[in-house]
Amino acid sequence: MVVIQWIINNILTQAAILISLIAMLGLILQGKKIGAVISGTLKTLLGFEVLSAGSTIIQQSLAYFAVIFQHGFHTKGIVPSIEAINGQAMNKLGLGNSIALTLLGIFIVNIIIARFTKWKYVFLTGQALLWMATMTVIGGHFAGLKGFPLILMGSIIGGIFAIAMPALAQPIVRKITGSNAIALGHFCTIGYLVEAGVAWLVRDRKVDQHVTNIKERTDSWEHVKLPKSMSFLQDNSLSIMVVMVPLYIITAAFAGPYWSIKAAGGAAGGVNYIIYAFLQAIQFTVGVYVMLSGVRLMLGEIVPAFRGIAMKVVPNSVPALDCPVLFPYSPNAVIIGFITTTIGTVIGMFLSPLVGLAVILPGMTTNFFAGGTAGIFGNAIGGKRGAIVGGIAHGLFITLLPALLVGALSSVGFVNATATDVDTITAALLYLWVIAPAFHAFG
Amino acid sequence: MAKVPTVFFICGNGLGSSLACQMEADDVFSEAGIEVNSDHDSISDAPSLNADIIVSASNFESQFANMQIDPKTKFVYLDNIVDKDEIKAKVLPVVKQIADS
Repeated sequence: MVVIQWIINNILTQAAILISLIAMLGLILQGKKIGAVISGTLKTLLGFEVLSAGSTIIQQSLAYFAVIFQHGFHTKGIVPSIEAINGQAMNKLGLGNSIALTLLGIFIVNIIIARFTKWKYVFLTGQALLWMATMTVIGGHFAGLKGFPLILMGSIIGGIFAIAMPALAQPIVRKITGSNAIALGHFCTIGYLVEAGVAWLVRDRKVDQHVTNIKERTDSWEHVKLPKSMSFLQDNSLSIMVVMVPLYIITAAFAGPYWSIKAAGGAAGGVNYIIYAFLQAIQFTVGVYVMLSGVRLMLGEIVPAFRGIAMKVVPNSVPALDCPVLFPYSPNAVIIGFITTTIGTVIGMFLSPLVGLAVILPGMTTNFFAGGTAGIFGNAIGGKRGAIVGGIAHGLFITLLPALLVGALSSVGFVNATATDVDTITAALLYLWVIAPAFHAFG
Repeated sequence: MAKVPTVFFICGNGLGSSLACQMEADDVFSEAGIEVNSDHDSISDAPSLNADIIVSASNFESQFANMQIDPKTKFVYLDNIVDKDEIKAKVLPVVKQIADS
């Protein structure tokens, strides 16, 4: 018993060690050479610690921003950042080990469903699965679940999402890629379907009623010449800075020197308060950059292992991949989707306080990647008008959903951040609105 | 086969689609029996990589054009980054050329 207790206390509760062991298992099951097993395991360990370091940087910057926003605008401004949520869940709430095990559980449930049903999707976007594991664990934590039931429920719900989301998107993805070879594995899919639905309602009914491939569309943004100057936003670090720098500077200007210096811990190193805000905005970007480097190191070993195993176990599997895989099929719609989604999120930012919700600041990374993909869906279903109206609706939708989560997140101790990726939010809301009440009623 | 080429797969975040592309390409390389050092990264890091070949999606071409990257690095742009046939047709010849050099 003492030995088991020691293992639980020192190994299974240490998320970094746990996730490296998961990676090691995956590498051994693939029959890798001993050198590759050791290097892969160590890289995963390193990746997890780099991820934690990045999240500490994000939290420091967000804590400062929370104070200046509060004093600048007399309301709470919530930054939508799934990275910040993941970091706070792992570090502050100590949920890292549950998240690591849930990630593994989602893989297993995904493979089981794909093996035994007609939905052959294998979800290979590692970071999206990590965010899903994070949100189901947070949801379960909020509902009062602990230990094995928390992980089991998260794995089942996450695993179902990992199959259902690619399956729901596939009819439209087939129109976009012209084949059934790949699926979309990105947990913003409900947003894409919202955009596609709105686009379908407002489409030009005189044309393109029976196209099976977007290349055949006559009413499409792909026939319009657009400036390519927006494409730099594909660079994630740049796109974050483009928003965070003005956001921090404007907020600091409204907060004034007194509160800005106080938020900086009293001194700000003798630097002018606007310059300090500028540097803090860069710090936020640094945090995301470091964190994503950690995610890359960590998942670079686990995802190929999962893929190797899934391909053996599931015949005729269809890989569900990250959204930029679709970008080359419809590059103009990506730009339109980004612009219209951003317009929608800005409208949403001003509207949400009017209906009693928190102010959700626009998140540029999501606006580009999710907005761009949503634009492809809108254009594929509703042409030019569909993409524009659908894009604005998408922007409103991805602002509303995180806003609904803010209360629950702050009640369990999250500071000034909310999740992005609407499918993961839907999973969390499922816990909040269905599972938690049921658990309290029967438990 | 004098040299093991270093191939980097690049996307916006260096997380999802670059890894997807790398996994398909690794299959192609091992089928062809060529040893390759492959890894994936974000476009922000591209100028600092010591790569023989950079593989990316065609929509990134204009951004690489603005970067100062080691002139020895060869670029391959793919329309469908997970299409094994396209990888065979476009990436494999460049890898072979470097491996034989």
